[in-house]
This record gives sequence, C-alpha cells and structure tokens, in this order.
Amino acid sequence: MRLKNILLFFLLTGALSSCKKFLDKGPTSSITPDVAFSSSTDLQLFVNGFYNTMLPNADAIFGSDNSTGLALPTLYGGLGDNTTGAAPTYYLNGQFTSALESSVGNQWNWSNLRNVNYFLQNYNNPAIDSTDRANYSGIAHFFRAYFYYNMMKLYGDIPWYSQALQPSDTALYKPRDPRTLVADSILADINYACQYSPAAPDPSCTQVTKWLAYALKSRICLFEGTFRKYHTELNLVSTAAQWLQQAAGAADTLIASGKYHLHTTGSPNSDYRALFINETPSNDEIMLAAVYSDALSKWNDANVYFTSSTAGVRLSFNHNFINTYLNADGSRFTDIPSYDTIEFQYEVQHRDPRLSQTIRMAPYTQDGTPAPPSFAYTYTGYQPLKFCQDNAALNSNSENNNAVSIFRYAEVLLNDAEAKEELGTLTTTNWNSTIGLIRARAGITNTAMPTVADPFLINTYYPDITDPVLLEIRRERGVELSLEGFRYDDIRRWKEGPDLARTFTGLYVPAMNQLLDLNQDGKPDVCFVTAAPSNPVAGVFYFTIDNVTSKLSNGTSGTLLLQQNSPRTWSDYKYYYPIPLTEIQLNPNLVQNPGW
Amino acid sequence: MRGIVQSEQGELLSGVTVMVENQDKSFTRTAQSDDKGIFVFPSLGKNGPFSFTFTVVGYEKKVLSGYVYANGEIITLSVKLHQTDKSLGDVVVVGYGTEKRANLTGAVDQIGTEYFDNRPLPSITRGLEGAIPNLNIIVTDGKPTATATYNVRGITSIGAGSTQGALVLIDNVPGDPTTLNPADVASVTVLKDAASAAIYGSRGAFGVVLITTKNPAKDKITVTYDASYSVNDRTVKPKLVTNGYEFVNYFDSAYYASRDYLLQPPTINSTLPFSLPYLDSLKIHNENPKLPQVTVNSQTGNYNYYGNTDWFKLLYADYVPQTQHSINVSGGSEKINFLVSGRYFNQGGLFRYNADNFNRYNLRFKGFIKVNSWLSINTNTDFSTYDYKYPLTANSGSSIWETISSSTQPVAVLKNPDGTLTQNAAASVGDFYLGKSYSKSGQVFIRNTLALTATVIPNKLVINGDFSYLNTNTVDNRQYFPVPFSNSPGVITVSGTNELSYNDSTETYLAANLYGEYHQSFGRHHLKFTVGGNLESDLLKKLMITKNGLITDQLQDFNLATGSNTVVSGGGSQWSTIGVFYRANYSYSDKYLLELDGRYDGSSKFPTSQQFGFFPSASAGWRISREDFMQGTKSWLDDWKLRASYGSLGNGQIAPYLYLPIVVSGVNSVLVNGVQPNHLYQPNVIPNGLTWEKSTTLDYGTDIELLRRRLVANLDWYDRRNTGMITPGEPLPGVFGAAVPSGNNANLKTEGWEISLNWNDQIKMRKPITYGIRVTVSDNISYITKFNNPTGTLTGVSAVSTTTNYYKGERLGDIWGFVTQGFYASQQDIASSANPSFVNYSQENIPLPGDIKFKDLNHDGVINNGANTIYNPGDQKIIGNTSPRYAFGITPSVGWNNIFLSAFIQGIGHREWSPTAEADFFWGQYNRPYAFLPVSTLDHWTPANPNGYFPRYRGYEALSFPRELNLPQTRYLQNAAYARLKNMTVGYSLPASTLQRMHLINVRFYFTGQNLWTYSPMHKHAPNYDPEVLGSDPQVDPSGGAGNDYPMLKTYTLGMNLTF
Repeated sequence: MRLKNILLFFLLTGALSSCKKFLDKGPTSSITPDVAFSSSTDLQLFVNGFYNTMLPNADAIFGSDNSTGLALPTLYGGLGDNTTGAAPTYYLNGQFTSALESSVGNQWNWSNLRNVNYFLQNYNNPAIDSTDRANYSGIAHFFRAYFYYNMMKLYGDIPWYSQALQPSDTALYKPRDPRTLVADSILADINYACQYSPAAPDPSCTQVTKWLAYALKSRICLFEGTFRKYHTELNLVSTAAQWLQQAAGAADTLIASGKYHLHTTGSPNSDYRALFINETPSNDEIMLAAVYSDALSKWNDANVYFTSSTAGVRLSFNHNFINTYLNADGSRFTDIPSYDTIEFQYEVQHRDPRLSQTIRMAPYTQDGTPAPPSFAYTYTGYQPLKFCQDNAALNSNSENNNAVSIFRYAEVLLNDAEAKEELGTLTTTNWNSTIGLIRARAGITNTAMPTVADPFLINTYYPDITDPVLLEIRRERGVELSLEGFRYDDIRRWKEGPDLARTFTGLYVPAMNQLLDLNQDGKPDVCFVTAAPSNPVAGVFYFTIDNVTSKLSNGTSGTLLLQQNSPRTWSDYKYYYPIPLTEIQLNPNLVQNPGW
Repeated sequence: MRGIVQSEQGELLSGVTVMVENQDKSFTRTAQSDDKGIFVFPSLGKNGPFSFTFTVVGYEKKVLSGYVYANGEIITLSVKLHQTDKSLGDVVVVGYGTEKRANLTGAVDQIGTEYFDNRPLPSITRGLEGAIPNLNIIVTDGKPTATATYNVRGITSIGAGSTQGALVLIDNVPGDPTTLNPADVASVTVLKDAASAAIYGSRGAFGVVLITTKNPAKDKITVTYDASYSVNDRTVKPKLVTNGYEFVNYFDSAYYASRDYLLQPPTINSTLPFSLPYLDSLKIHNENPKLPQVTVNSQTGNYNYYGNTDWFKLLYADYVPQTQHSINVSGGSEKINFLVSGRYFNQGGLFRYNADNFNRYNLRFKGFIKVNSWLSINTNTDFSTYDYKYPLTANSGSSIWETISSSTQPVAVLKNPDGTLTQNAAASVGDFYLGKSYSKSGQVFIRNTLALTATVIPNKLVINGDFSYLNTNTVDNRQYFPVPFSNSPGVITVSGTNELSYNDSTETYLAANLYGEYHQSFGRHHLKFTVGGNLESDLLKKLMITKNGLITDQLQDFNLATGSNTVVSGGGSQWSTIGVFYRANYSYSDKYLLELDGRYDGSSKFPTSQQFGFFPSASAGWRISREDFMQGTKSWLDDWKLRASYGSLGNGQIAPYLYLPIVVSGVNSVLVNGVQPNHLYQPNVIPNGLTWEKSTTLDYGTDIELLRRRLVANLDWYDRRNTGMITPGEPLPGVFGAAVPSGNNANLKTEGWEISLNWNDQIKMRKPITYGIRVTVSDNISYITKFNNPTGTLTGVSAVSTTTNYYKGERLGDIWGFVTQGFYASQQDIASSANPSFVNYSQENIPLPGDIKFKDLNHDGVINNGANTIYNPGDQKIIGNTSPRYAFGITPSVGWNNIFLSAFIQGIGHREWSPTAEADFFWGQYNRPYAFLPVSTLDHWTPANPNGYFPRYRGYEALSFPRELNLPQTRYLQNAAYARLKNMTVGYSLPASTLQRMHLINVRFYFTGQNLWTYSPMHKHAPNYDPEVLGSDPQVDPSGGAGNDYPMLKTYTLGMNLTF
C-alpha cells in the first residue's frame, strides 16, 4: 500500500498546483498595444500601414475618369467628361440613390482615419529618437490631410475627428463640421507635414517627404481656392484668394528647392510616355507612384484594362477632348476650317507629340506589329495607350510592371500657373517657367503665352471663361494629366458639372460601308454598316450603326455619336456625394446633402 | 440430449435456436430453448462427431463442435452466450467511464464496428455519415484529405466558434478522426444533450463524439488481415456540349443578346479571337470532320482552332484505383496483453495527367500490464502519416475547376500541330499535362497516452490517471512553374507564376486526467460517484515561406529559388483549460434513476476576471416496465424507459484571443522603397466584460424494447437555447472607423428530435435467415431570438455586402428571393407589367420577350428589393430554406448460411438550394458566355419553345447583381433533398468445418459498393451536381464556385478478411 499512497500523492498535488498560472496563455505571434510603440521601427511599421491602404493603386488612377456602369465618384476620382465607357454611370442616369450607396458604395469608410489618429495618440514615446518621432508624425499628418481632403471633395461638410473614437464616445453622433473648419484643419495638418516630414527626396518615389507635402498642399489649396471662387453659393468667395496664395506659395517653395524638374532626354516623341510605361519611375519628375515589380511578381493590369472586351472597362477618349490637343507648332487644331470633318488618320498627324503617346495611332506597334485602334476594345476610336506597355502578351495577361504616377512635378507647375492666373498675378516669366516648360518638354515649338481666347474651349467646355491664359492653362491640365485622376476634381472645383452630361463622341466617319484604315498600314480596320455583311473582309470590325444607341451626326456620315438612348443628366446637388442612407439612420444628426 | 443456455451474467435465455448436425450433414435438427433456458433433442443420429450452433437475437452466434457420443449415452451441455451490441444489456461509453445502457438517463447513442467493417474508407468520417441520428457530418468534397465538420443536433451557434463542431475524443483525448485507422474503431458514441456532455464542461457545448479503439484480446494471439482493391468513379459526370461549332454558336448568341443584339463578341474570353467569318468557317469544319482542327490565319499568322474537345475527358482519368491492407495482431495473458495494428491505404489517379496520389499509413500499439492485484498500466500509441501529391495550375493559382470553366472552350485543343500547348490548355489542363506545378503535402501525427488504473478499495473505489501527448505536423509544399504555350507557329510565350512555397504548422497538445469512481449500495439503493480533474494545453506554431525564381522544375529546394521575392510569415496561438468535474448516479431498484453532473471550468481564452464558469446539469430516468403494474406486459414489452434532462454548458470553443486588443500585423500589398514591408494596424476594439456563451438544453427521451428485444426504439426531443453568443454589438456610425466590437449579444433557439428504430430477427429454417433493419430520422430547426440588427437589413440580395445579417425571429437557412411569374410573352406584356428597371437584363437593360417576369408582390408597380430590410423587402419574400431537414439513414442487413448482405441508405428529406452566381454547371453560358455549355441549358426559351426551363438565351445573366438570374428566385430554386445508397456489401464466410481443416478462425470475402445510387429531385434541372456537396474546394479557393471542386466518388471494392 505504500507505493499506492506515494503515487496518489503525486497525482493529486500535480493536479492541484496553481491553476491561474496554467491559464496564463497570451498570444504567441502578435502584439498588444502596450508594446506596439516602443521603437522607431514600430513607428515605421505603422507608417507602412498608411502606405498600404491610403494611396490609390494603378486601377484607381487610370480608371479615375471612369464613366461607366456602376462607377461612382470615389476618393480618387471616378467620373470624367473626356472618356466613354460601355454605358453611362448610375451617378448620371438617375438610378443612384443614397440607399443604393448603402449597399454598393464603400466611400464612407473611416478606418484609415482611425488608424492614423490611433498612431498620433500613441507615437509620442520619449524613449524614441525625437527626430524620428517628428518625421513619422509629419508623415501621419500628411495622410490625415490627404484623407480629409478626399472626403471633403466627396461630401463637402464632414465631421472632423482628431482622436481614435471609442464605442461610448458621444462624438460618434455629432453633426457634420462646416467646410471652413475642415479645410482649416486640413491646412494645419499639411503645414505640419511640410514642416516635419523627412527632407531628403525619396528616389524610390514611394515615400512621403517634405517636398511631397508641398505638392499635396498646392493641390489641396488650389482645389479649395477655386472651389470657393466658383461655388458662389457657399458665400466664401472672399476667402478664395488666401487659399490660392497658399497654393502658389507651396508650389513656389517646391519649385525654388530645385529638387525636381520635368523629365526629358531631348526626345519629345517618347519622353512623355516614358513617365508612364517604365518599371522604374523617373524620379526626377515623379514624386510618388504606385510601383510594380516583375521581380516581386507585383503587377498591374493596364493593358488588359484598355485592351480586353470582357475584363476591362475599355475607357476611350471622346473626340472633343482629342480636339483640344494643339498642333505641333503650338497653333490650335480647332482653328483649322472644317477641323471636325477630318478623318482619323489625318487629324492625328502633326499634333502635339503627346497625342501619339496617349492614344493608338500610326506608327504605334506592339511587338513590331502595327497596332491600330481596335473597335473590339474602343468605343470611339481614340484608344488610350498612355499606360499600356508594348508587349502584346500583356493584353491578355495582367502582368504590367509600369509604375503609375500619383504625384509628379508637372502638376505642381500647372497648380502654380493656375493659382497665379486665378489671382491675376501670372507674369510672362511665370508662364514660361510653368506651362512654357511643359509645352517645350512635350515638343511644341511655339510655347508663347496666348493672347486670344480659344472659341472652341469656350463653346465646348468653359462658356463662362474669357481669360485666354486661364483657358490655355485648363487645356494644358487636361492634356498633360489625362487619365491621371484629376478630371473629376477639376470639373467639381470649376463648377463645370454639366460637361459630364455631354454626348459621347467618336471619330469622324466619312461614309457608311467604307473600309477605313486608321493607321495607314494598308490593312482596313473598321467599317460602319447598318448590318453585318454576308461576306466580311477578314480583320475588319463591322460597327453597326443602329440609329438607336449609335448614330452619325449627319445620318450616313459625320461624327460617331454614342449611347444615344441612354439619358444622362447633371444637377448641381451631385457636386456632393450622398451619405449612405444607413449612416443617416444610425446618426440622424448627419443631415443628408440636399437633393439626395 | 439436453442442455441449458444462459448469458455471461448467468441469466437464463429463452428462445435460443439450437441446431445440431453431424459431420456429413446427413443429420440436422433444430430446437428452441424454453423459458428456463433448457433445450432438448430426443435423440441424435449416427455419424458423429456433432456440432451445435446457437443463435438468438442480441447475442453472438456460438458454435460448439467435435462432440462424440456413444449410442444411448445421455449428454448435457451448458452454454454461455456472449451479448452483442444493440441491446439494453450493452455497456455504453460515456464521459470518464461507462454505463449500462439500461441505466442511461441522457441522450446518448452508440454504434459498433458494423459501419466500418468491409468498407475501404479513407477515414471513418465517411462511414459515420447518417449512421447516428443528428450526428451531422458535413463533408466539403471528395478529396481524400478533405476535412469534415462533426455537428451534433444542428446549428450550434452563430457567434464565436460557430465553425467549431462537436468535441471529438479518441480514447478520451481530443483528436482528428481522419488520422484514425477505421479498422481500429470499436465504437462511436455521441453525447447529445447537456446532461451527458456536462462532464466535459466548456469543451462539450456543441456535443461530444467519443470514439474508442479496440482493446487487446486477453486470450490466445489472433491475427486479422484485411486486403481490398477498389475502383472509383465520379458520382456525377457533367453532361456538356463538346461540339466546337455548337459551343461557339451558343456563345455568340449569349454574348450578342447580353449586348442587346448590337455588338458581336470580339474574342472568346480574350484568348480565342471571334468573328462572324470564323463562325462560318467553324460551321464548314463541323460539316467536314476531315478538315484540320488547327489552321494558321494567313492575315495574323496566328492559329485558328476548330476543335471538339471534351476537356473533362482530358482532365479526369477513366477510373481511380484504391488499395488497402490492414493487419491486427492481438493477444496475451490476463497479466500482459497487447494489440498492434497497421494499415496502408492508397488512392490515386483522379486526373489523367499529373494525377494526384494519396497514401496513408497507420500504426497503433496498445499494451496492458497488470502490475499487481490493484494496479494496472495501459499505453496507447498511435502513429499516422499521409502524403498527398496534388496538381496545381501556375497561371492563376485558382483551382483547376475555376480555370477549366473560363479557359477551356471545346473549340480549343490541347496541342498545336507542332506539339506545343495552346494558350487555353496552358491555363488549365495543359499545366497538368506538363506536370510541373503541384502541391506535396503531408502530415505526421503522433500520440501517446499512458494511463494508470488503481483499485484502491476492491469493487468500491477505482482511481484512474492518464497523461497524453499529441503532436501533429502538417506540411504543404507548393511549386508553381510557368507554362509555355504558342499562339502562332514558332512563337513560344511563357506565362504563370514561378514560385516555391513551404507551409508548416505544428500543433502540440498535452492533456492530463485524474478521476476516481466510487460505488456504494444500500439494499436497493445504488450510488456511484465520479470525481476528477482535467488539464489541457495546446500550442500551435506556423511558418510559411514563399520564394520565386525557381531555376529548375525538377527539384523542390529553396537553394534553387533565385528570385528576389521572399516572403516569410509566422503565426500561431496557445490556449489551456483546467476543470474539475463530478457525476453522481443514484438508482433505486434499477427503476428510478437520477444523475447529477457538473463541471467547474477555467479557460485561458477569457479575461482573467471571467476565466472560470460552473456548468451543472441533471437528468432522470424511470423504467416503467419494471413497475408492478406493468407485469401484464412482460410477454411483449421487454423494457420501457422515460428520460428527461436539463443542463447548461459554456462554450469555450472560441478563438484564443477574442478578449485581447491585438495590433494587426501583415505584409504590405504595395511596394515601399523597393520591398513589400511589414506593417502594423490599429487594434480591434474589445468590449468590457466579454464572457462565455451558454447553451442550455432540455431533453425528453424514451427507450423501448419490444417483442423479445426484436424491436428497439429510441426517441428524443430537445429544446436548446444559446444565450450570449459572441456577435457584433449595436451597429455604430461608420465614423467609428473600426469593426463594431463583438460581445455577448445574440441568442438562438433550436428545437429538434431524433428517432432510431432497430428490428432484428431470424426466420427459422434449417439454416436460419437472420435479418435486421435500422432506421434513423432526425430533424432540427433554429431561430434567432436576439440579434443586433435594428434596421432589419437582409443578407443576400446585395452587390458588395458580404456580411451576414441575421434578424430577430429569423429561421436559419431562410432564402430571401423573388417570385418568378414566368417569361415575358410579348412586348405588350413587358409594357403592361410592373416596371422591372431594377432588374438588369442586358447592357442597355432592355427586357425582351423570353426574359424573366417577376411578380410584383407589394403591388407598387415596380419590381425591386425595397430597402432590402425585413420591414421593406420590396418584392422579396422567403422562398426556401437551405437547412437540411429530416436527415435519415436506413440500414438493412440479411445473413444466411455464411452469406451476408447489408446496405446503408442515407439522405436528406428536405432542403433547398438556390444556385449561386458561380454555379457554372447549372447556369452554363447564362453566367459567363464562354464557360461550359451544359446540355441541360439547351432547354431554354425560344419563340418556338416558349415553355423552356431557362429564359431567353443571354450571357452574364447569373454573374452579377442585379441581373435577372443573379436574383434568388422561385423558378430556379432546387429541391436538394436526396437519398443515396452509401454502401452495399455482399460477403461470404467460409464454413466452420472448412476453417477448422485450414486452422483458421475466419475467412471472409466481400464485395462493397459505395455511393452506387443517388436520387435527388434537383437532378431534373441540375443533373450536373452531387446533392451531397454543393460547396466549393476550400483547400484551394474558398470563394470558388459551387460544384467547382474535387468530385465525390463512387467505389467498387473487392476484399478479403482473414483471421487466424
């Protein structure tokens, strides 16, 4: 029995030993907040999280002028008057409501802000090097400014939060703060970012620096200044100038630093496009980009986006926009008599060299084979190639490696010129050091400041603008920054919303049933017909003019008019996006934007 | 000649059939034992020796042979028969002990080996389906490594840990049944109600399944060898159109219709160009089969294809072979005995190229040493390992079934004339053909239990202690190698990922138990106490490495992966529980039974202040048949018991760190400074006072044995309430910026019942026919009784939202959808019907005759989903329910003269299925027009066939919200009930006399068929689906389409069983 007793003793004591300690099993592979802010590395890790979720990717950038299907305004754009998609967007055809936004939209998303605020509440650990703390807090302020700038563009008035909220906070249910408070707070944040962000330019074009903060500041202040100037209903016109001065000041600081310049190798026929199709971003001009890499198998789908009939959106440029490209000598294309009845293959010749780097036209080739615009993919004939690489295999494999610019120096020059012209302070010297430089890099021979207003721009785009310089600045902005995510913002701040309801226009069709060779390679590409022929010519796309959805402006010839039976309307309430209905239900203090 | 028959307990047995025969079988007589167990043969013939065979229901057949007797000699035989399973005298395994079935008061069901014998199963899971009522086994696909969820009595929780199934214990230690050798299993017990599971406390909230393995034999050494060879085939073979011209023609119609008959397709899913001239030449090729299938387009220089390829024929092998060998050696003495068992199982070759191959090896050693009169030691060592090679596709990493649905049109072919792969093939079967992308996975599982049993006071107090160690290491190595293909002669393109990945997870689990059992009787009062403690701890560690740039496809080693994209990630978790438990049984005269159980449990998964919980339960039984007033029924009623139980359990089966704010870490998906760095993200927000979910069960049951135990019936009805399920709290405004904290917020109510009926009898003949049938039926329904959804927003009909919304009063599984009124008959019909502009019919949204007309349920003149809430559902209503109802199992068996025949039919009595967007085998080109063309979709509306099943032929209708077929609706709701012949076995055992000559104990040959026959009403319109698995392949891509997964197999097996 002694052995039995000893055995029992051990079994019992073993079982009854401290339970509490036995149950103390913390996480083995993740950390808790108390240890998350203990070193500079931790701060870097949080900042990496901002880069991960708070910047647009390639699709969001070149799809920013989307105008099709379910597409809606997003943080990074989302609508455009210069491009055509498959069908008019819900936003314009009347189907979109704040209830629908509750189920299909995802813009009212505040988790990135809470993440930044959480960081700003915790980063200031005295044990961490003070320069690092300052740098990282500068970057965090950059992202908070960027977040609120995008939200303010969408919604107008929005609640301002500088703290990570808790479920019990009454601030969750507060009304919206006025635009003026939000804008001032954004300005304070971006000023902080300009002061404290790292001063050295980032050669990889993927990190926030002081200089990037100045670029964002010029973008924000130009937006706010022009928005207040043209949206007179806000009664803030008198405050517009101070914002425009801030915009010009930020741009001037950046220009004066000499850290960036326009990328050029003296080859105007390829310099512009090199900014958009290379794996390594040109860091002399590009300040921030969505970067991709073959080595890391990180790819975008630019070619598929523009050259797939099923996968991509197939955005195509409208004829009106193509008309805004100058001639190579700096004269206006639309000054040519009967400019609007020139066939495609002729109208694209002798133009601003950026045109041949923006759309498919002769002599563009892929893998050495002529690649004409294909109506299998384009609606209008003006098929973008700005971001497409020249390897035909990419048209079906989403393996593009090109960096897609988010901020580049050319925009800063455009911001500078526009802010100064809006203020009435633009000098010839200013023109030459901004728009003049951009046109010279593009290869336009005469870059002199204009003196006569362009009637085409006034009639087609900006009926209320008479200032010839301002019109030219707007032209330049459209051409230089096409498909880079600026167009909808520009329309909003210039109060040119009705532009979005304009008819989608394609190329000029000289006659029905005529084979057209768009790139003059000897092989016909497209033919406009009323019904597909019984013995078609191989390689020709037969485009059916049904006179319901598509028409020609003169009946059997003329400009191709698209989506004729799809109504699109603009009303000024659409300058502001609706708050999702479910959010209004959760917090009735969030009064809906009028009209929705 | 006379004899007496009794049970091993000494009970005299009546009604036993005794057959006597001599050696040359010239003399045969049968007799029955009377109510004193006595049987008499007036005389025996000549030509002995004689053999006696004793058979009776509920007891094992016994044969006594070699009796020689002199003429006139009077012999007397005394025989003891051994009870089989399925009887009230049976001993049932319960938590921390065993109990006589007669004394059970909880809802407990047990089955023996009959469900596993003679069935070559990859794992016992496949044998358990339908065998026990309300033990619901959910298999996801037919893959040999497929895991299954064990569920007891329906939806257990919608809160934290709802994906956890029942607690499965193998020889008292939690384990994965897939690691088990089916031949080792002795019994499977299910503890269904709270009272039975209470002794497992927080681990048993969702029911407990106890699997016990066979114990060593205590007499002479016995060897059992079992071998089988099987041939498998798919249960369902999709019927698809493989004629290239027909396919392209329908593709063109579908695409053209989706673009309002304005735009012809430019390509067939971007790889194959399309044009009307091409369609014409395809027609010419179709009429002249001698024309080449591949030509070169003179204008583009690219290949043109005119194939008629059956891609599934290229994908699947004609049949799948399967082999099994198992051996069991057992024996010893009263003091020391042992059992060694081993098994090899191989299944290979589902695919024609780069076929998958599965090997599993099992080894078990059980030893027993009786050290002295009061102490014995047991060891139980289990070793199991598998390796599985599985082909992958390098192009997308998606499963072959997804790529095959989008990339393999019949018009394309596998290879070009120069032997290179086509682009279509490269994205799918061609990758298999080259065989360079595959996964090699494997698992090593080791378990050891050391147990002591000390009889402290003989027949009164026994103390048991055991300690177990389990280690499971699972590894998955994946290699993706780019695939070359050619679109024009001499031009080779290479596409796809080049990557090697290594995925390792190791789980270490320790458990210790110490418990004692004390018996005491005072006259007719019997008392039994079980008291003990339990400790468990678990540690999981993960490692994943991915690197690109393999320089060879021959060797899998990171030294040969030269790329710069290296991703290393870790992970893991740990938890522990500690508990003390008790069980007190009281019985009075074996008539009134009472049991009290309880457990005080602590878990590391809760905050310190909430770590412990106490979960008591009680149950009682009344054996009416023992009452004096029931004496008159003795002749036909053997036993009748009423039972009731009530108890509550805590749910500790949740993720380990729900109560801790965890700073989220991860790898950036975007590049920063040339790399994809790691990042940290704000922690989740945790509510105060998070505590246990509770489930409280009330159970009423009865057990009846009738007609000399020929008929045994068990019935149970139960009501289970889950309270405080961990679900998201009150919705917060979006400006909160984080997920709504989850708390103890939701309640659920489940009602259900289960019945099992057993009939066993024999037809008395010279050689009696024994037969039996077991029928089980079970059902349950669950309702949400509390949930935070004040707006009543519905899940389902929504474009982006994927979150699951419940609402108070919801019956789980309900499908909200529209009512299909029919097809539009004419333009006039469209104009005069409710405005359908919410529904999307085409690119320009122009409905035409033949498109679906929905019913305007709320008579507002508009078809829409209102606010998509229960208060304003628009024209939606509840059109069906996905929950499986009336699950049944029928198990008939017949035996005669060493021949036996048994079958097992399993099924679901009622269930609905609304085909999802990606159900390609149902929608065909109504989904993506370049996907399959199922023969079943050819029955569609045309002006000549206005009553076709499917609407006007249009592509993309099922793909995206709110297209006309993407909306759940009555017309396309499928009745997914089914009945399936899971198993049918015919066997023959050699007769005893032959065996004796060969010095063998038993030799048996058998033929088994599994999944041989299936009936389902859904096969009328969805013939391409197996109703048992309507999910997707979770191992490859959980978001994949329904039906796009490893097919279920039907199996034909020939086997032999040898015991000596």
